Amino acid sequence: MNEPDLGATDPDRDPGVEEILRVRRQRGPVERSAPGPVAWFDVRRRGTGHFAFSLNRITGLGLVFYLYLHLAVLSQLLGGADAWNSFLQTATTPLFLGLDVLLVFGLLAHGLNGLRLALVGSGYVPNRQKALFWSLATFGAIILLYSAIHVFGADG
Amino acid sequence: MNGTRRFRVHRFDRDAGPATTQEFEVPVGEGTTVLEALRWIQLHRDPTLSLRHSCFHASCGTCGVRVNGKEGLACVTPVEREGGTVSVEPIANLPVLTDLVVDMAPFVERFPAPHPIVRGSEFIPGAQTPDDVEEYMRFEDCIECGLCLSACPVAATDDTYVGPAALAYAQRMLEDDRGDREALLDWADKDNAAWRCHAAFECTEACPSDVRPAQRIMALRKELRGRGKASERATTSLPATEEVG
Amino acid sequence: MNSPMPTGSAPTRSRTWRWTAITGLALLVLVTIHMVAHHFVVEEIGGLRSYDDVIAYISTPVIFVIEGIFLVVVTIHAMLGLRSVLFDLGLGASRRRLIDRGLLALGVVTVVYGFVLIGVLASRG
Repeated sequence: MNEPDLGATDPDRDPGVEEILRVRRQRGPVERSAPGPVAWFDVRRRGTGHFAFSLNRITGLGLVFYLYLHLAVLSQLLGGADAWNSFLQTATTPLFLGLDVLLVFGLLAHGLNGLRLALVGSGYVPNRQKALFWSLATFGAIILLYSAIHVFGADG
Repeated sequence: MNGTRRFRVHRFDRDAGPATTQEFEVPVGEGTTVLEALRWIQLHRDPTLSLRHSCFHASCGTCGVRVNGKEGLACVTPVEREGGTVSVEPIANLPVLTDLVVDMAPFVERFPAPHPIVRGSEFIPGAQTPDDVEEYMRFEDCIECGLCLSACPVAATDDTYVGPAALAYAQRMLEDDRGDREALLDWADKDNAAWRCHAAFECTEACPSDVRPAQRIMALRKELRGRGKASERATTSLPATEEVG
Repeated sequence: MNSPMPTGSAPTRSRTWRWTAITGLALLVLVTIHMVAHHFVVEEIGGLRSYDDVIAYISTPVIFVIEGIFLVVVTIHAMLGLRSVLFDLGLGASRRRLIDRGLLALGVVTVVYGFVLIGVLASRG
């Protein structure tokens, strides 16, 4: 049986990304399921894995936004006790506490799915990725419920 | 279930402006496939409708389309599975030549090299072969239909990602101990190759041929994890068990 | 004939996924510590500390170190994550290099600002 020609990986024959993109553009419109990044969040007729990917991406971007929001908010501390304590008045209103719960949801979703990605993506349990997603989601839901109860002060 | 169904078919002529859709009322019966419906349209309504097909039984990989947004081989996709208007579009992430026909060259070019499509058969290891036959050969499972690339959310935005079919091919080569191992690992160990996958597993969902590209990409990563260490020629095999739940 | 797939501008032996995973796993621990410390310890509503309590908290050496490590690890993970999202857009080699440099700069600025912030607060304690 012939061995395949893997001179394809020879750098002298490698056209490079730019050449490939140029040739591709010449070929005419590429059919997409949805324009650009919208495709990442289009879960219609897609399975658990795609849903997990979309969730991870949206929570990741949300958490990056939160990181900078958080640093900005904490900068209030530089203004001393009055500035901070008056901020705390707003921070303990139901709306803000609700946003805190949203944050916990984002952290749990991203963190637990991230754990699934680390395991599955290193080659462990590739045939159990759906089961892993749902069991981690269940665990996360329990933690979220407990956190929501606590944040709103119901357990004192 | 006899009667007619409405089909909304993607139409595109490179000389005639942007893509459009065209609707047809098609008579269907129990078990009518999308391919049969499309051929009915060609024969009775519009002979200019362009599509590809060959074997009629899901072994050639030619007739890939998206039916109501979901990838499938038209020859084995039953119409009655779909509700409402049945939309038929070409597979995604490849250039459209016309109507339902895409340019498969960018798909094939993602593979690391001109690649063999036959390999040794695993089914009858102990069987005796006739004197002049060394081993039985078989076709690879992958029929290069492109459904996996169409379903992949990374390929939806990145044309430089090598994609599930190419990565699955590389993993099979390693698993069977064929080809240049280091060259294959080098090819795979890149940000636009094995490490670009985000584990959506849509390629495995879409594959009509049990290639399980997502699992193979993860097996490939397991192989790459051991790089740099003193290596025996141990290869990582695809896990045999099916997904449960 | 088949032509070879481009190797692109990325070097052989990509390590970014690995480091995203490693920082991510570390964050499972660090974020849990951080969230518990800031929402589940203090008795007030939401577990939030008053100004004086914050100063006392952050000027404790062990806490300062842990929060500092958390800051560095979360910034690395965030930058790698953003890089992954941006690289999924299929951009050319020069844009990718620009993104790498931009994210490195953003990461450095973030960590520096964070340390300045907690440093100033700790010095008031």
